Amino acid sequence: MEAQPELASGEVKHLQRCINDLISLLALPAVWSGGDPSEVLHTLLDALVRMLRLDLVAVRLTDRVGEAPVEIVRIAEVRGPMPPVHDICDALSQCLEDGSQKWPPLLRNLMGEGDVSIVPLPLGLQGELGLIVAAAQRTDFPRQTEALLLSVAANQASIGLQEARLRRQQRHLAAELDRQVAERTAQLAAAEERWRSVFENSAIGVALTDVNGRFLAANPVFEKMLGYTEEELRKLSFFDVTHGEHLERNRALIGELLEGTRQQFQIEKQYRRKNGSVMWVRNNVSMVPETDRVPRFLMALSEDITERKLAEDALSKSRSELAHVGRFASLGVLTASIAHEVNQPLSGIITNAGTCLRMLAADPPNVDGARETARRTIRDGNRAAEVITRLRALYGKKDPTIESVDLNEAAREVLALSLSELQRNRVLVQQELGDGLPPVAGNRVQLQQVILNLLRNASDAMSAVDDRPRQLLIRTEGDEDDHVRLTVKDAGVGFAPQAADRLFDSFYTTKSDGMGIGLSVSRSIIESHHGRLWAALNTGPGATFSFSIPRASEAATGADSNLGIRIPDVTDAA
Amino acid sequence: MELRQERRPAERPLVSVVDDDQSVRESLPDLLGEFGFAARTFSSAEEFLASDGIDQTRCLLLDFAMPGMSGPDLQRELKLRGRRIPIIFITASTDKTVRPRLLEQGAVECLFKPFSDTALLEAINSALHLN
Repeated sequence: MEAQPELASGEVKHLQRCINDLISLLALPAVWSGGDPSEVLHTLLDALVRMLRLDLVAVRLTDRVGEAPVEIVRIAEVRGPMPPVHDICDALSQCLEDGSQKWPPLLRNLMGEGDVSIVPLPLGLQGELGLIVAAAQRTDFPRQTEALLLSVAANQASIGLQEARLRRQQRHLAAELDRQVAERTAQLAAAEERWRSVFENSAIGVALTDVNGRFLAANPVFEKMLGYTEEELRKLSFFDVTHGEHLERNRALIGELLEGTRQQFQIEKQYRRKNGSVMWVRNNVSMVPETDRVPRFLMALSEDITERKLAEDALSKSRSELAHVGRFASLGVLTASIAHEVNQPLSGIITNAGTCLRMLAADPPNVDGARETARRTIRDGNRAAEVITRLRALYGKKDPTIESVDLNEAAREVLALSLSELQRNRVLVQQELGDGLPPVAGNRVQLQQVILNLLRNASDAMSAVDDRPRQLLIRTEGDEDDHVRLTVKDAGVGFAPQAADRLFDSFYTTKSDGMGIGLSVSRSIIESHHGRLWAALNTGPGATFSFSIPRASEAATGADSNLGIRIPDVTDAA
Repeated sequence: MELRQERRPAERPLVSVVDDDQSVRESLPDLLGEFGFAARTFSSAEEFLASDGIDQTRCLLLDFAMPGMSGPDLQRELKLRGRRIPIIFITASTDKTVRPRLLEQGAVECLFKPFSDTALLEAINSALHLN
């Protein structure tokens, strides 16, 4: 009754204080809104030091992955220089681990001599979050109430720290998610840009249509090809701009695409441009299957082949006329040739006839003389006929046949026919036609056209040459692999070494009139004979053109020849 | 109008024919004989130059295009040698631009084969009268 009420009052006051402290501690988590562990700990330690009159309190958080542990120390009264926080925490852990009651020197220096009671407070259910160490230089530390407050404080700290950790993780995840979304968005944007750019800058036309053929989109190349803008095209279907007989087939192919019986198709067809003109295109059309947001549509890759088509047409036309044109290409020369050749025997005939009349009109008539003139007339008549026959053989309407050709004989014939022209150009022809050469398999007419071409070229090459003889050499000889080679060498102006390849191009010509078959056709002819035709510059002036073709084998003549020359029906009239 | 001259063999002027064509060489001598000329034929310009005909020929019937030395080449060569033999070109060519050029170069005439015998006679007579 005497000390008890005082004691009780002191104890009551203590308990009251304790309850107040508890309430404060319990309210702490509400304060820790930011989720920063340091903030949590600082406020907690402050509270503990104040409430429990601790001499030292230290905390070390250990759960921070990849970062240094958070370490905080509070000391009520510092009695010396303050060592690093890390060292203090280390000393405390060591102390706890040792279990010895010896207060480490570092701490003794810090807090002075005297016994210290320390209480470890693990944070987290298994202490995985870290550790608080509370120390006081009181022998009765910790009292029951103090122990309670300490454990409640540790719990609150754990709660706070857990929340902080969760929030941190959340933020981290959110940031990561944002980053990934941004990355993905950027990738998609880049991809979209790339594809858009492909569409816009494609070197060929790209057009998208719906399943009915209505234009959905068209790239600049396609717009330019057809002369319509994308806007205008959207009002049209591709059937509207397709020209000619391709429409039905086009529709059928689209049908197959939509049914799924084919994946894609190619078609060469004609478009009608906005200005009415017609062009050729080659289209690759495929169906793009539907996606979640976009229904299926058709895609056409469209290439302008107008020029190619025109060139092909022209080429096939000239090819199909080749034999015909080739024969008549030298028409001017031919006519002159015929005239020249035939004029000689004709002249003889006229002269002889004139002589005949004079002889018969003499007094007495010179019958013997007249008879002789008649004989000469007949001979001349025969010569004229021979010339005609020879020329017909070379330029007649007979279809090409394959035969065993004596190249020397063929060359001689051509020479005979072009001799007058060559002479007129003062060309000196030297012949070195080899003996005992095997016949070649081929078309006589075509080979003679090639020889004629080479002779004319040689003559032309020398047309401006005046300071040296216009020497033309034509030679035949055996070549390796059972081939026969024919060479025409001139002393003309030659050609530029870098033009060697272009000489045989279809459109390469130095002649202002395009008469005669050119080197391009000559080469085709020789190649169809399984041979080759080439040109070389001479060591002296001029050039040498040669072709080499295989000899005729037994099987190479006749209807089943392996030459790439078309064989006509045998029943065709010559 | 025809001019036919009777001449004794000794007085017959020599007309030389240079032509590589056989028909021409075979037919002309008899006709020239009918005209009253003596005739010699050569198958090339080189053959003519190598012969003694070059001294005796009073008129030359010369083919235009021949292998080796052509007609115009022979014309030039004779000029160089100072031989003023009147030349009548005979050509089987159909190129009409040939004639004016040859006349410019001093030929008496250029006849296109086949030529008439009267045309030939006229030409030879002009040639001889130049002398």
